[in-house]
Amino acid sequence: MDLLINLFQGFGYLVGWEPVVAMTVGVILGILVGAMPGLSPSMGVALLVPFTYKMPPQIALILLVSIYIASNYGGSITAVTINTPGTPSAVVTAFDGYPLTQQGRAGEALGISLVASTVGGIIGTIILIFFSVPLASLAVRLHPAEYFALAIFGLTTVASLGGKNWPKAFIAALLGLLINTIGLDPISGVKRFTFGTYRLFDGFALIPALIGLFALSEVFSRLEEFKFDKEKIEADINKTVWPSFIYYWKMKFTIIKTSIIGTLIGIFPGAGATIATFIAYDFTKRGSKDPDSFGKGNPEGVAAAEASNSSSVGGALVPLLALGIPGSATTAVLVGALMIHDLNPGPLLFTERPDIVYSLFASCLVANGIMLALGLMGSRLWIKVTDIPKTVLFPCILAISIIGSFAVNYSFFDVAVCIGFGVAGWILKKFDYPAAPIVLGMVLGNLAETNFRRAVIMGGYPVFFVRPFSVLLLLVSALSLAYPFYQSYRKKKKSAAAGK
Amino acid sequence: MDTIKYFGKGPGLYIMASVLFFLFAAIIFAIYKSSKKEYFWRLSIPVFFIMTVLGFMVIAMGLPVKGDEVGPAIVPELWITGIILLSVLIIIRTLFGLDEKDPGWGRVGVVGAFLAFTILYLYMIIYIGYYISTLIYLSVSIYSLSYRDIKVIAGLSLGWILVSYVAFYRILYVPLPKGILIERIFG
Repeated sequence: MDLLINLFQGFGYLVGWEPVVAMTVGVILGILVGAMPGLSPSMGVALLVPFTYKMPPQIALILLVSIYIASNYGGSITAVTINTPGTPSAVVTAFDGYPLTQQGRAGEALGISLVASTVGGIIGTIILIFFSVPLASLAVRLHPAEYFALAIFGLTTVASLGGKNWPKAFIAALLGLLINTIGLDPISGVKRFTFGTYRLFDGFALIPALIGLFALSEVFSRLEEFKFDKEKIEADINKTVWPSFIYYWKMKFTIIKTSIIGTLIGIFPGAGATIATFIAYDFTKRGSKDPDSFGKGNPEGVAAAEASNSSSVGGALVPLLALGIPGSATTAVLVGALMIHDLNPGPLLFTERPDIVYSLFASCLVANGIMLALGLMGSRLWIKVTDIPKTVLFPCILAISIIGSFAVNYSFFDVAVCIGFGVAGWILKKFDYPAAPIVLGMVLGNLAETNFRRAVIMGGYPVFFVRPFSVLLLLVSALSLAYPFYQSYRKKKKSAAAGK
Repeated sequence: MDTIKYFGKGPGLYIMASVLFFLFAAIIFAIYKSSKKEYFWRLSIPVFFIMTVLGFMVIAMGLPVKGDEVGPAIVPELWITGIILLSVLIIIRTLFGLDEKDPGWGRVGVVGAFLAFTILYLYMIIYIGYYISTLIYLSVSIYSLSYRDIKVIAGLSLGWILVSYVAFYRILYVPLPKGILIERIFG
């Protein structure tokens, strides 16, 4: 009952022009970021964080989360119309979306992707609300040993982020963790790795590092490739027919089922939207009466991909809000945004700032509605984003990155940090070291270190193995770590068997 | 322990950094001259990690410990150990051909030029202020990437200056530098 009252209050916070403008602007920017191949949701959110410094925290978070929600839908627009997924998770949407466009049914594909995204987003948010509140009240009572185990669980994300390059992904995470130790020691106050530079006493500022790793590294990669061609739009989406309500109604079960799958997968750190879409697509295909039509323009394929894609956002917000553990690159950026506003994600946020949490829940629901309205009005318009020449876009991203990192502390040192992380990210990415684990390490480093040391001070090293919940979490972490290796082993075995 | 502490700060730190740098240079030179030249970057990067974190390890070992077993060095040492072990693993995997050969470099000169221009831009901000230098930076960088519509370039550069003035200077109160020279000339 308390939950519903709080939620109603959350909707109350949305009354007024500021939250509505924040959601609308967030949704528009999110769709544009998602629709533009080369711009990722994490990059979009990281670039927008500096614009939120002086905003009230509620409005800032509503804006950033709206970008996150809408960018997942935005990716489907270019996937459907030009077979170029704007985001990695929209790859699956292109499987059936683009064939539909080739058959002259682009409106159908765009309509399904919009409706499935909206419904998926709403279902994901409902599960987020009912899952995160009890989880947070449980997490408040956790011992530091259990918190350390939780941080380790968050870090196991790396196994799935790295794929076959898992040692490189782990090194990247460890580098992030080591970078996090630069500055004053959080417990004893001893200066660590500051090299006499007072600017390093607080360590590296997170936002310039994030902007460098996500935005600048991508710009440097594109500049190195020196490919600035425009995407060709072959389909004439102005002439296509948009489906009726009954058409969408026929797909209700597919949308609901895949939304639940997407949310549940999204909850697991590291699983993310891309994995959710592949699993949901496969699930729908297996359950279909006509599995052979998938990949050739089956509307249910688009619905499954988009519903699971959007619902995974709600799932990814569960560990972020309830436990303070980011499970994806974008949620790691959101941690940075929360920290800038002096908010610590985790269970205490629910008791100390319920206004923030519940207004965020309410805004997730409303933002999906705004996305539906804007999507219906502007699908023909969003595709125009691909007309923006990359030769214009990349210098603009550089300019935004520089002013954004300067605005954190009004310091050129932070700008230098941003450029440094950008160059490092570009080189590391080129040799298959992913950037996301570095951020994850930087975000989870403090949580892991302080709780590890507190736990040892309180109960010695065995403390991690005597508390049942800590043992359970460490076991789950070990399983989560081992699962991608097991999967790759099975894949190898299967392909070897197929080879014979 | 005192010897390690000596290398953790002051002149000792410079000596250690120099030794690690020359060791790194010698190893990458050896890789370059070896039959594994096509894995040069894939091998050099983990070697660089090892050398860097070894320096961090020496500094960490010299950090003050006030009798407690979980001092400020323990966690960094844990991460450093992990980095060293995984770097060695990557080197072994690469030497055994389990990693791909180095990808070719594209237009590194373009990236270098952009970086140099960006650094110049930062200096320009200090001397001639944010607004003028951003106008120059955006116009020149867009033009240099072969975009030739001057009206769009001018509109975009001026538009961005307007946006940054309103959003950052007026709304967010970010003190965008006015420039030492401009302030001296115009007060």
